[in-house]
Amino acid sequence: MRTNTPRRRHLAALAALAASTALLAGCGSGGGTGSKADGGGTVTLRIGTYGSFGYDNETGAKLYAEYEKLHPNIKIVESNVADGQKYWDTLKLRLTRDSGLADIQAVEVGYIAEATGPTLAGKWADLGKTGGADLGAYLDWKVKQATTADGKVIGLGTDIGPMAICYNKDLFAKAGLPTDRAQVGALWAGSWDKFLETGRTYQAKAPEGTAFHDSASGLFNAVVSSEPIQYANAKGELDYKNSPGVQKAWTVATSAATGGLSAKLRQFDEKGTWNAGFKNNRFATVACPSWMTGIIKDQAGPENQGKWDIAPAPVAGNWGGSFLAVPKSGPHVKEAAELAAWLTAPAQHAKVFAVNGNIPSTKETLSSPAVRDAVLPFFGDAPVGRIYSEAAAGIKAVPISRWDGQVKTFITDNGILDIEQRGTDPAQAWTNVGKLIDDKIQK
Amino acid sequence: MSTPVRGAADGTPLPSAPARAGGPRPSGSGPSTNRPPGPGRRLGRGQRLGLYRWDMKAAPYVFIAPFFLCFAAFGLFPLVYTGWLSLHRVELGGEAQWLGLRNYTALWDSDFFWNALGNTFTIGVISTVPQLLLALGLAHLLNYRMRGRGFLRVAVLAPYATSIAAATLVFAQLFNSDYGLINTVLGWAGFHPVDWESSKWPAQVAISVIVTWRWTGYNALIYLAAMQAVPQDLYEAAALDGASRARQFLSVTIPSIRPTILFTIVVSTIGATQLFGEPMLFGGSLGVSGGSGNQFQTLSLLMYEKGWVTGALGQASAIAWVMLLLLLSVGAVQALLARVRRRRG
Amino acid sequence: MSTASATRPRWRPSAGRQHHAGPLTYVLLGLAALVSLFPLYWNVVAASHTGERVVEAPAPLLPGPHLFDNLAFAWNQVDMGRALVNTTVVAGLVALSTVLFATLAGFAFAKLPFRGRNVLLAVVVATMTVPPQLSVIPLYQIITDLGWADQLQSVVLPSLVAAFGVFFMRQYLVEALPVELVEAARMDGAHSLRIVWHVVFPVARPAMAVLGMLVFVQSWNDFFWPFIALTPDGNPTLQVALAGLGSGNHSVDQAIVLTGALISTVPLLLVFALLGKHIVGGITAGAVKN
Repeated sequence: MRTNTPRRRHLAALAALAASTALLAGCGSGGGTGSKADGGGTVTLRIGTYGSFGYDNETGAKLYAEYEKLHPNIKIVESNVADGQKYWDTLKLRLTRDSGLADIQAVEVGYIAEATGPTLAGKWADLGKTGGADLGAYLDWKVKQATTADGKVIGLGTDIGPMAICYNKDLFAKAGLPTDRAQVGALWAGSWDKFLETGRTYQAKAPEGTAFHDSASGLFNAVVSSEPIQYANAKGELDYKNSPGVQKAWTVATSAATGGLSAKLRQFDEKGTWNAGFKNNRFATVACPSWMTGIIKDQAGPENQGKWDIAPAPVAGNWGGSFLAVPKSGPHVKEAAELAAWLTAPAQHAKVFAVNGNIPSTKETLSSPAVRDAVLPFFGDAPVGRIYSEAAAGIKAVPISRWDGQVKTFITDNGILDIEQRGTDPAQAWTNVGKLIDDKIQK
Repeated sequence: MSTPVRGAADGTPLPSAPARAGGPRPSGSGPSTNRPPGPGRRLGRGQRLGLYRWDMKAAPYVFIAPFFLCFAAFGLFPLVYTGWLSLHRVELGGEAQWLGLRNYTALWDSDFFWNALGNTFTIGVISTVPQLLLALGLAHLLNYRMRGRGFLRVAVLAPYATSIAAATLVFAQLFNSDYGLINTVLGWAGFHPVDWESSKWPAQVAISVIVTWRWTGYNALIYLAAMQAVPQDLYEAAALDGASRARQFLSVTIPSIRPTILFTIVVSTIGATQLFGEPMLFGGSLGVSGGSGNQFQTLSLLMYEKGWVTGALGQASAIAWVMLLLLLSVGAVQALLARVRRRRG
Repeated sequence: MSTASATRPRWRPSAGRQHHAGPLTYVLLGLAALVSLFPLYWNVVAASHTGERVVEAPAPLLPGPHLFDNLAFAWNQVDMGRALVNTTVVAGLVALSTVLFATLAGFAFAKLPFRGRNVLLAVVVATMTVPPQLSVIPLYQIITDLGWADQLQSVVLPSLVAAFGVFFMRQYLVEALPVELVEAARMDGAHSLRIVWHVVFPVARPAMAVLGMLVFVQSWNDFFWPFIALTPDGNPTLQVALAGLGSGNHSVDQAIVLTGALISTVPLLLVFALLGKHIVGGITAGAVKN
């Protein structure tokens, strides 16, 4: 057994490699997890969001900068993920392990029943008790949606999604329909059947290559969101099969699909075909929750300013909206709850509305002149404030179940879209949806 | 071929080893020869022999230990844990309830499981078989002496450097039924536009194209490396026997690189069975369900949908174990066939 | 095989057998290169137009004027600089350790007899079959129990070894390492580590380089597990950071998404352009170093 210098150096190099690997494992990067106070007593609060909340300092209402000014010891960092489903899947995993969480996590209404459900309810701070939020300021049904079985309020309302119908005036005119928003609203006021009837009138004289509505799935969502009973029964149990709301929406949507009234597109398709349809005039109407107006504006582009207008929906409804929640395990629950309360207070709602157009979920802001008198220049100065706050006034609390978002996805993506794109018979499609839901959802 | 070494491992001393260990060595007997004599520890003859035996016995285990230690923590534990989950009804963060084999019988009764199994198989076949055949041909061509060889080798390997996400995002645009380049080109050639996403077979072909694009160059490189190691004598002998170049490829190259071919078959079969990212991203918003009619939902996607989207972790784990057992039985059949062939040959 | 001797390697650099390519070979290889490179070229094209233009028929074939706007937008939307460094560190460490451990184990499985060798090798192959999507849940439990969420070791440690690598090195060494070389070294009284250093590593070097490159690339592009273990604003790798790209207002800008894809691919393509030739060249020069 000999050793000599060159060889020893080789071995030393090997050992160093192994050690450096271990070293990295030991010390790591340190940063990142949760928030921590540094030497100067500064507290960093992290807020996890998806989509666009309109709080940030770049394109939003600069609320973080404002709060940091009010509270010099607080620093706010937002982490945004594009895809809402991905965001929620990851958040769930982190919640179950109380790890990797931001101090504030946004939750979409489609998942709020799961967040308040038995497996996750215990993971959140009670914002009725911490943070000093005035629960009476929010719409009652919004508070109810975020309340757990034992009365904890785990989320504070950000925006809501009162619904109208956006329509393309050029295409309406070419098809011989009125273009004035009062007359258009009168075409279908009070009934989705009248909406379909208008669609058939449109289709009879439709300009080449256009359809009355963008997507039968969008229509399904619109109809369901205007119904008092949706996927869950009064007890909050999933019962979509016996729900009059789901049946009604299915009938309306499938007759639009089989009657050739839809452009057969999937809303928010990641490949952008639906988005491009606004510019290419593929369809004349879109079910239009308040957050949809910004999308139309962006997708149709400035050259189409004044081409689109907004009329009240046949029946008022609510589609979408979010909450801010505070994970209980965080190191700064109190500070985080205070920030969440501040961000969702009426004054801040008004600022976000002014910049981003999100319809607020606080009563006072909803009825404030700033919101009620708002008009959108892109839509020919349509009085969106009045249209949406009137729609919001018609919204009633709806029982929701933990599975609503999932069932909705199966019905629209695997049922209605299958009818539109692959010509499946509606009865067969309904059977398929039933099988899918029975297979995938363990009640 | 390892008989002498095995003899040593059994405890039989290699007669010349101790005698030669300290003394001068004839040069040219191996790469480890031209060392300058240096200060070494002096060991007694018996001691040295003991150490030597210990070294022979322990070395293999020491060499495989890092792998198995890491594997135990980050591979075996998840495997066993998944097996345990598959026997329970369990939701993320919830309590597990014992179900026995009910998750497995539920799979047997599920149309969606059989659909996903069928899709995994068909996509696997139409992506793996052309891919390996193309790679073999490509490796053969790349083995020629030519101008620009370096460039060509790097060029065919470039797809491998592209992430699944990047590759699939690009191909999803190229395959788009409305505005994609592929339909445009088909239109020039007088074909009708193909519904690459909502029709079953075109969708499966498109996904296979992505897989084939990413992996063909990689496999060709592996084959090329193996081809370079084929002893020259074999070709000389074959040439003396009058074998043509094509004949040499079939009777010398292919048999000589058989272990490498086996390696690529095993790796791509496993890859095909676990196919996930390509169909998921290709399907865009409908990716997890593999299209509106589940027309390209693979087993991995079905597992992901169950475990992550709808939270049925027990059922998802059962699918994972079915995949494992499927691959193991494929491997067993392969090993059996190889043994039969060897006995006949 | 009987002609092989320990003093003279059976291998010769295989240059002797390499025939000159005919025109057909050039045509076929040119076609292969075109098919391989066109999607990458088109990625550049797509990243140089506006999102609206990308989804318009007919799709663009030539680069547009917006490449730098798109790059600047994507670069500012997420912390790409940090992500680039993190990704390099992670992929580098994973590649080094995988190659080292895979060569050791591959050598043992290929050339050293020991009890349970075949069974253990079967276990190695079997572990490749574990679907990574599901081991994520137990893995996450391990990582969080150790308090490693959002730290780089949470993505490095689970990848320190790869069954694939062991199998790869084993398959290579079975063919490329003459047992005579090992025996001769043993005759000289070399202990096992010395054999590894002086016999196995030189022979395995081309395969180690290839494996290192493959593992580096795979680790670089890994998305599924890093997205769960790391957060986009904490300590992300490139692929994790890209998850935050192109979104806003419920719509996805395809040009920005494809620009992100380009940003994550270009560093690797550069490495390939610089080192790929070197690595492939190393193989061409012959499998055994005399």
